[in-house]
Amino acid sequence: MSSITTSDFKNGIFITFKDQPHQIVEFQRVNPGKGSAFVRTRLKSLTTGKVQEFTYKSGESVEELPVETQEMQYLYPEGDDYVFMNNQTFDQVTVKGSLIGDFVKFLKPNDTYQILMHEEEAVGIRLPKKVRLLVTEATEGAKGNTMSGATKTVTVETGAIISVPLFIKEGELIAIDPETGSYVERA
Amino acid sequence: MKTWQTLRNHPELWDRYFVREHVLRAVRSFFTTEQFHEVETPLLLKSPAAESYLDVFETTLLDRDRKKTPAYLSTSPELALKKLIVAGIGNCYSITKSFRNMETDSHTHNPEFTILEWYRVGATYLSIMDDCKQLLLSINHALGHGDTLTYQGVTFDIAGPWEKITMKEAFQTWAGIDFDEFLDDTKARQIAKEKGYAVEDSNTWEELYDQIFLNEVEPHLGKSKPTIIYEFPGCLAALSKKKANDTRYAERFEWYIGGLELGDCYTELTDWKEQQDRFDFELTEIKRLGKTTYDYDHDFIDALKVGMPDTSGIAVGLDRLIMLCADTTHIADTLFFPSTELFEK
Repeated sequence: MSSITTSDFKNGIFITFKDQPHQIVEFQRVNPGKGSAFVRTRLKSLTTGKVQEFTYKSGESVEELPVETQEMQYLYPEGDDYVFMNNQTFDQVTVKGSLIGDFVKFLKPNDTYQILMHEEEAVGIRLPKKVRLLVTEATEGAKGNTMSGATKTVTVETGAIISVPLFIKEGELIAIDPETGSYVERA
Repeated sequence: MKTWQTLRNHPELWDRYFVREHVLRAVRSFFTTEQFHEVETPLLLKSPAAESYLDVFETTLLDRDRKKTPAYLSTSPELALKKLIVAGIGNCYSITKSFRNMETDSHTHNPEFTILEWYRVGATYLSIMDDCKQLLLSINHALGHGDTLTYQGVTFDIAGPWEKITMKEAFQTWAGIDFDEFLDDTKARQIAKEKGYAVEDSNTWEELYDQIFLNEVEPHLGKSKPTIIYEFPGCLAALSKKKANDTRYAERFEWYIGGLELGDCYTELTDWKEQQDRFDFELTEIKRLGKTTYDYDHDFIDALKVGMPDTSGIAVGLDRLIMLCADTTHIADTLFFPSTELFEK
């Protein structure tokens, strides 16, 4: 473990809060009415998946948890959890759905993902910049609709529903930004 | 994508940005009806108000021979308005830009923002509480929303009674702290430690108070009703008057709706000596904190020496009021040119 201060905060890093491992989901600086600076964080508990807010004094020290990334293949869902396998060791790990968040709708069996590990425990997934998925269901775009920015919704192979430009057709591969869940480009 | 580009592609977003012009018009109409003078105050100053918790923008004024004089961007129009009150203008207000450095990385701050300040001569902060309600009601009516306002899924009855709670009651209710006890520095350290906060010797009493306030009190303010939290600890009086019957507390309030802190009001301090002492203290703090140093506004102390009538006034972050009316959680959603975009890395 290493000590960091609030100025080292980044979204997605792992820290100890009240003796429990947490991930910083989001943080922002706040200045109360008339006073010095503070940092308000949203912290996700790695044990319960619950998110709570805590406000640190600017400059306060916290313990950052060491996390390593392992390449793993996604196998199958198990209740609210998801099972992955390390491609080298063939070890299987279960990742809580609450720690994967909205990204679960883009998980594709047999694809490889970066799993974040802390002391043998899976604590999250590193989101790729883009995910490439096949459009499995799409309606024809309304004819004559040439307004720029016009969109329709399509279903991709994992079942997720995405808003795309009218020219996207069934059977095409598209790239999606997993952070926002929005269409990026034809892939 | 820049906001102008987004607007070009999504014309349906214009209405959210137009809330600003409706609010500005409604504010001016309210104060016209109330017979307040609207005044302009300088943005470029020789001496900003001495406030150690703020970081000022520093610049340089050049004369025709390029001789340099340090100059600063205004952090609020307060001192200028008070000088006009001493001069005898009576009730007045200003809608102006203010600048506070280091206020980045926040959904509710922009380093350049629009501030609304109004001052009622002969009034205490109790009249300003009523002004807040009447002002918000008239803005809401102008926006065609009647007596209720919906922010982030919660509907607030603006015309109904507002929640009014003292700082002492709030600490007791939500943090389980006896605030009279907490006012003592040693006790405050002990209480904060027992609650599990990291307490260093270098931490000031104010930091401990603020951290508990932010974690345990503020999340409850303005949840279902507009809330006024009043009677601040005396050491946080800033430019407000202490309570006559209990100088441990100051006649200051803040106003919250839906988690947004909308304004900060004082029964104004009129005692020049006490004001000068507070400025001196603030300047020492500014030095201790290693921030940009400047001299305080001696002209303001001179004005107080002449005598300021009893007055109460408030600073409202107009951008926050616009966020509230536009039902958005990000200040950038109400600005055509937010600083985050202008200074994008």
